[in-house]
Amino acid sequence: MALLKVVAALMSALLLVQSPRASEYQVKAVFLFNFAQFVEWPAVPTPDPQTPVIIGILGEDPLGTFLDETVRGERLAQRPFEIRRSRELTDIQACNILFISRSESERVGQILAGLKNRPILTVSDGDDFAKRGGMIQFVNDKNRIRLRINVEAAQAANIVISSKLLRVAEIVRTSRR
Amino acid sequence: MTRTRTLFLTVLLAMWAVSARAQQRDSLQALKHLTLDQLMNIEVMSVSRRPERLFETPSAIQVITQDDIRASGATSLPEALRLASNLQVAQVDSRQWAISARGFNSTTANKLLVLIDGRTVYTPLFSGVFWDAQDVLLSDIDRIEVISGPGATLWGANAVNGVINVITKDAKETGGLLVTGGGGSELRGLGSARYGGELGAHGNYRIYGKAFSRDPTLLPNGQAAPDGWHMGQGGFRLDWDAPDSNRLSLHGDWYDGRIAQASPGHIGVSGGNVMAKWAHRFSAKSDLTVQAYYDRTHRDIPGTFGEDLDVYDIDVQHRATVSARHDVVWGAGYRLINDRVVNTAALAFLPPQVARQWFTAFAQDEIALASDRLHVTLGTKIEHNDYTGFEIQPSGRVNWTFSPSRTLWAAISRAARTPSRIDRDLYAPGQPPYFLAGGPGFRSEKELSYELGYRHQEGALVLAFASFYSRYHGLRSLEQVNPPNPTPIVIGNGQDGESYGGEASASYRITDDWQVRAGYTEVRVHIWPNPGSTDTSRGTTESHAPNRQLSMRSSLHLGARWILDGGFRYLGKIENQQLPAYAELDARLGWQPIPALELSLAGRNLLHEKHAEFGTPAARRGIQRGVYGMAQWHF
Repeated sequence: MALLKVVAALMSALLLVQSPRASEYQVKAVFLFNFAQFVEWPAVPTPDPQTPVIIGILGEDPLGTFLDETVRGERLAQRPFEIRRSRELTDIQACNILFISRSESERVGQILAGLKNRPILTVSDGDDFAKRGGMIQFVNDKNRIRLRINVEAAQAANIVISSKLLRVAEIVRTSRR
Repeated sequence: MTRTRTLFLTVLLAMWAVSARAQQRDSLQALKHLTLDQLMNIEVMSVSRRPERLFETPSAIQVITQDDIRASGATSLPEALRLASNLQVAQVDSRQWAISARGFNSTTANKLLVLIDGRTVYTPLFSGVFWDAQDVLLSDIDRIEVISGPGATLWGANAVNGVINVITKDAKETGGLLVTGGGGSELRGLGSARYGGELGAHGNYRIYGKAFSRDPTLLPNGQAAPDGWHMGQGGFRLDWDAPDSNRLSLHGDWYDGRIAQASPGHIGVSGGNVMAKWAHRFSAKSDLTVQAYYDRTHRDIPGTFGEDLDVYDIDVQHRATVSARHDVVWGAGYRLINDRVVNTAALAFLPPQVARQWFTAFAQDEIALASDRLHVTLGTKIEHNDYTGFEIQPSGRVNWTFSPSRTLWAAISRAARTPSRIDRDLYAPGQPPYFLAGGPGFRSEKELSYELGYRHQEGALVLAFASFYSRYHGLRSLEQVNPPNPTPIVIGNGQDGESYGGEASASYRITDDWQVRAGYTEVRVHIWPNPGSTDTSRGTTESHAPNRQLSMRSSLHLGARWILDGGFRYLGKIENQQLPAYAELDARLGWQPIPALELSLAGRNLLHEKHAEFGTPAARRGIQRGVYGMAQWHF
């Protein structure tokens, strides 16, 4: 029991030493939220100013509650945020931003083909996502998150990505292999 | 006492959970106010790529990740398996390990199914694993899934009390050159190299080689047992991620080892395997996997026996979401073995050479009910083997995710441990008159198991409990041929038994840099002879496992460059071996002065100069404290 008390005290002491680091998916969740502010979707006729900005998550959700906590109470102009999760694309075709989980890596080609030119900003951290025709890819580089953006893919879907976002990203093209 | 401690720890963890949640929220708000540039300069911790659905699995599953293995400083597969608290792991001597789940442990433990990348590695000689011949490059491992309890329906025969599934990384994830070298006491030396690269537009490859040398363990009189061990292994893997939803994988390994022994000559183990796997996705709702492998083992234990084994295996599996409610998996498999034993004066397998085949088919339907909250999984495996004909192994499982963070599951399963050569063909001594005259009438051992489990995930805290009751029929026994004459004896199915117990595990990420874990397992096994049986062992040859075991681990990142990992374990006494309880501590300190280089210092079994984990007083070996240093470069 004495040992446990020592361990407990030690644990509490260490708790106070806050780490400057964040968890990977916490940062990715904040990126996803930020993208909404750096992207322009094609104008939709008679939009209800209150229509939510929908962020879809396709496949096994690695973000947990991070994304929900990030967007809680936030608005883009007057539009609130809404998160939809699904294992099937057909269930979440109405979203503005679609995060495709690594669990769907094997069928990324199929998913992107299914979305072809719909005005949905596609984001994933799967390997080669941008080169395979995805719009924004998260790349882990020496414990930091980098962005890889396929501008052509975004243009094809009439999505305009702000130069502020492009400036910090690596630009790639779809590789035709 | 132990129970009080566990409870106390749980309460402490729950208290920290609350404060950590608050911290997470704060840091999230801070992150939202950063510019894109700033956000990109935030250092992140990678989360382990544990499949999320793990949480919903209706069985007692634990996952050992690559990060866990690396932080622990494990240098062999059995050492890594100690990280799963639902396994009973005991080191017997330098090369032998007794590994089991839910009791029934021995050096020839026979109720566990062990797979490496889909290749079954238990030997048809005794339905158990020669751990000295099963190795991988530990840095290639993606994860090890450990399931305690029956998994026979999906996984197949021998998954009576558990499944260990070692999964290595895709070649795409192991690019560049990785060189590891080090050594110390006990682990005298270990060196490995791996190189990976691209192969055309869609392919990746890796090749590796490793070698190690281990010190002998100690005899009961304190002298070194002559069991020093040298081993070398090499292999490759090709992954081809073709367009049109096809994936192709080809891998192989070769190994050669030498272990000293008391009798004249060295024990020699060598072998190799090659496997091809093809996965095709017809649509998002339907995919097919076909795999085939060949595995060859050579073993020579001078004075005891020699063996050459060839295994040929092919499996097909199809998964389909047939409707919104039904997720169906079905498959079929065929296995052929050709086993040739060289008999000695001490023992004989008769006939020396056999060819045996297995046919299997299985189907499982996962039915989603109550708006995806309730899942019922029904399935069965049908297997045909040359010994006992058809074996049917059905199971029914229910999991109820009654809130996003809480899952309750229950299962009823029937499993069979089919005969192996040791049950049917073993004679001793090597020539008549025999005192052990095989087991011509040995049938399968049958199990009916009931399980109930609960998982709770609250932010950084994960709790899991599993309890079980299993009833066994026809357990292996030693029967007198002409009672009351004590010999000769034959192997029969004269015993019944039951086992029950529980497994609890908790994992808590106190901060992003610090994770603690605890596991506690309690198992009871009772075995008794059936009316008419002349067996008097009461199971002492079938199960050697402690009644309880406790493990605690802490993994702490100290800044970006240092990592300190400690693992404490306590194992209760093994009564039928008069083996005392023991507690031991492993620790490792790793330092990354630059991202490409890691230096580490690790200590194993630090609390005592020597301790024993398995065996009767005369047979047991002293496992000594070991310290080693290691360097790893990644170019």
